[in-house]
Amino acid sequence: MTILSIRDLKVNYATQDGTVQAVDGVDLDLEEGQRLGLIGESGCGKTTLLKAIVQVLPRNGHIVSGEIKFKGMDLLKLPPAEMRQLRWREIATIPQASMDSLNPVQRVGSQLMKLLRVRGGYNKKAARKRAVDLFDLVGLDTERLMHYPHEFSGGMKQRAVIAMALALEPSLLIADEPVTALDVIVQHQILSVLRELERELNLTVMLITHDISVVAQVCDSVSVMYAGRIVEEARSEPFFASPAHPYSLGLQQAFPNLARPRDVLVSIEGYPPDLREPPSGCRFAERCPFAREDCHEVDPQLENVGAGRRAACLRSGEMDALRTRAEDPTLWQNVEVAQGYMPPSPGPFPHEEGRGGSVESSPTTIPPPSFWGRGSRGGGNVENDDILLEMNDVSKRFKIGGGLAGLLRGDTEQTVYAVNNISFSLRRGESLGLAGESGCGKSTTGKLLVKLIDASDGQIVFDGDDLSGVDDRELLGFRSRVQLMFQNPFEALNPRFTLYRSLTEPLIIHGWKDENERTQRVVETLDRVNLRPAEVFLDKYPHQLSGGQLQRVVLARALVLHPDFLVADEPVSMLDVSVRAGILNTTRRLARELGLATVYISHDLSLLQYTCDRIAIMYLGEIVEIGPSSEVINNPQHPYTQALIAAVPVPDPTIENPPLRIREGVPRPTEKFAGCPFAQRCPEAMQACLTIRPPVIVDERGHQAQCHLYGEHRDSPRLIQASPS
Amino acid sequence: MQQEASVRGEGRGKETMEFRQSSALRQLWETNLEVFQRDKMALFGLCIFAVFAIVAVFAPQIAPNDPLTPLKNNEGDWIKDAMPYWLAEPGEDEEEGYTNNFLLGTTNIGRDIYSQLIHGSRSALLVGFSAAAAVAVIGTVVGLLAGYYGGLVDAILMRAADVAFGIPFIPFIIVVSAFLDPSIWNVVVAMAALLWRDTGRVIRSQVLVIKEQAFVSAARVSGASDLRIIFVYIAPSILPLTFLYGSFAIAWAILTEASVSFLGFSDPETISWGFMLQDAFNSLALSREAFYWIVPPGLCIMLTVMAGFFIGRGYEEVLFPRLRRM
Repeated sequence: MTILSIRDLKVNYATQDGTVQAVDGVDLDLEEGQRLGLIGESGCGKTTLLKAIVQVLPRNGHIVSGEIKFKGMDLLKLPPAEMRQLRWREIATIPQASMDSLNPVQRVGSQLMKLLRVRGGYNKKAARKRAVDLFDLVGLDTERLMHYPHEFSGGMKQRAVIAMALALEPSLLIADEPVTALDVIVQHQILSVLRELERELNLTVMLITHDISVVAQVCDSVSVMYAGRIVEEARSEPFFASPAHPYSLGLQQAFPNLARPRDVLVSIEGYPPDLREPPSGCRFAERCPFAREDCHEVDPQLENVGAGRRAACLRSGEMDALRTRAEDPTLWQNVEVAQGYMPPSPGPFPHEEGRGGSVESSPTTIPPPSFWGRGSRGGGNVENDDILLEMNDVSKRFKIGGGLAGLLRGDTEQTVYAVNNISFSLRRGESLGLAGESGCGKSTTGKLLVKLIDASDGQIVFDGDDLSGVDDRELLGFRSRVQLMFQNPFEALNPRFTLYRSLTEPLIIHGWKDENERTQRVVETLDRVNLRPAEVFLDKYPHQLSGGQLQRVVLARALVLHPDFLVADEPVSMLDVSVRAGILNTTRRLARELGLATVYISHDLSLLQYTCDRIAIMYLGEIVEIGPSSEVINNPQHPYTQALIAAVPVPDPTIENPPLRIREGVPRPTEKFAGCPFAQRCPEAMQACLTIRPPVIVDERGHQAQCHLYGEHRDSPRLIQASPS
Repeated sequence: MQQEASVRGEGRGKETMEFRQSSALRQLWETNLEVFQRDKMALFGLCIFAVFAIVAVFAPQIAPNDPLTPLKNNEGDWIKDAMPYWLAEPGEDEEEGYTNNFLLGTTNIGRDIYSQLIHGSRSALLVGFSAAAAVAVIGTVVGLLAGYYGGLVDAILMRAADVAFGIPFIPFIIVVSAFLDPSIWNVVVAMAALLWRDTGRVIRSQVLVIKEQAFVSAARVSGASDLRIIFVYIAPSILPLTFLYGSFAIAWAILTEASVSFLGFSDPETISWGFMLQDAFNSLALSREAFYWIVPPGLCIMLTVMAGFFIGRGYEEVLFPRLRRM
């Protein structure tokens, strides 16, 4: 039975600058029990579609034409009062960032029961019983009903929100980015909950996300949305095996995949068309590497392309051949050229001759790094003259709750051990990834590395100089050689500076007097990061650029002084999938060209595997495992690393992630552990783990883990862990 | 054409490729311009200030008489309590031995009210603008230092602000006036000593927000010094806020000066609108229904204060839906 049927839906937003046709002629059918994943980059109309279905469009948005039928009722003709009855009872939605929508001053249980009594007509007793059942269903401890939202972790809040959405047994659940802001372990657990619920309740689900691996894990069919239209519809298996639209093809290849790592990721250059004046031809033609002349004129319709798939592409007949060609990343790079960019200029910076060497810009030809850790004592240090940076037993503590106000309130001062005795070293030109859940100290480590904060203990040695004792002049010298790339490109540039001003600032600070030289360097650097022609960008302000372009500017600012060392803190997590790969590829290429040592900080292991020579896994301020990327990913030793890797969703519907054996939630590191910091959550925990520091185990390839499982205490009696909820 | 398309946003993109260096100043100018283009009330306020400014500068030329010297008739007596010529009975002036050309009449000791009004604008604007400038500058510097450095600096400056908040304003000015020689500058000194507290607090909170933004960290990683970060990166972003509080301070200062003068703590040698009101009050002008003596200075005070608030409001309109601009 068809539950939801949308015909030729058009939604417009009236804005100051004209009418935006956010959803433009969408047809969609949802069968009972179907789990549909709606994917596409931001600004493609996914959320607008959701809002149109439940009719909560913002005031400037209105439905121009079309039909939305829910169980045979035309929703657009329904009086508002009846529509109100329908929401939540029949169509439940989990909006974006809904974890934050719980009322902070009410117990979660009473919010749930209030909903049941007001909207569901339950009496007090039945509501309580139902609330308990619901909490059971989503895997929350029923004692939690009495808790306030601030006592919940992010994952628990999301579970509570799911419980609320399901409270009135809706026939349709629409979830908008339900796992986006969550850590991978929590994400894994929420996805498992969703999967179980689907099976148990035979739910009909529409899941909106930009992350195709989430779709692969939870959905049985996929619709790809682009520029207000649906460009492809298919069942999950054929979709992931052989996408039938170039956009889907690009999206799929833009994603790093832990199971099947790629040499190079594809970046769909450019961005979606301006929906105030959509192009008359295919909307993807501008960015499509396969676009023909007629693609720009003829508007393709969704057509059957066999195997129950529908795609809107003029060349869908030749898809099999195109799919093979799409494997070649240079094909997608050529789009850069086709869009009016100049071809990448070969060769290193003029004065870098001989250092980086003239490495061909195509990443496929880059020789594998010949230097990987060659096992030594002291947590990943490498014995070699070529060492650029060394961390020796570095710690960082923060004090919280102290001060005058704390004293008056009677709070005791607490110490947070953000980073504990970490040691590693980095060679010139090497790239190291720092991974771990949020709160594991990876960003603090990044700040320590660039001396934004000072270490409490330990020694950071950069190019032979101990950083703790530098004077102002030496510090300035250090500043010219070490740079930082930020997570949020929209905040990383001064909104009041033109790009020229932003890029020239570091040069002014470091005493470049001649303006012509400065300008020349700025133009050269912009050109390097593929912002071409550079002159066009000089006079722009940050708000005039897209996120991907901004991140390129941020990269350019980091590189304008030709540093030796770059720390990139979540460089692409705020960007759209389609442009992520472009930033990563450019960063990687430049790092190799310039012989730049790089530290990438990310929660995304597949991304680190793609970009880094070595990976370090951090937990509660300690490095628990470090080694060559492929070793750490394919042969993880530490139970925490194993859990992290198992939790990464695989963009392949035929592979289901294994169940996790650890619980969510990183404890706050306010105490120092005598034993292993991970012991509390570890499925393998032994008695020795609680009291004795685990030894560092190194193999001949420099892969080291800090765990009792491989040391002399391996036979210590196991602790019985509460089973993960 | 493709290149054009690759750059989001229009307008500036279509300009020539030459670029300017001092963009911060230009942007500040544009923000200020925008305030008066968008908000007609603010423009109206600006016009009021402009008119009063012209009057104040050319006061000696505009005013027909000296505001302090009593006017005398043919017999050498003061022309007391003359009605405005448009109210007085015709021929009365000739009987008394003078020509009535007084737009607003004279006071009880024969001073020309219209000339007083003209000269009053001088002290109003002088007090208004200098107090506002002092408040804005002190408040901005305090806010920048407290917000940026935090810790002990913040604690000291903000506790000082707490003390300033605890002192009642008008009584404080009266005490200051009592200690110092009577002068309109007392008001300026007292305002500068107390009113920086609001500006300082607000700017501090704004600085706290801005200094956490990544571009400030980026500047630090590039090696920028504290002073450079404060004045090149942070200050331009909070200057519109300084203008907002400055324009409110103008209104406050004029109002305060009027109150203090009315209470009799002003310099008798300087004419101000508040002084005129006090003079009128003391000489029982109200009971003689001499509205031409009371209403004009009151109206002037009202207009200048309104102008200050209109402009302040204009800044608020532009500043606070600011996410749109960022």
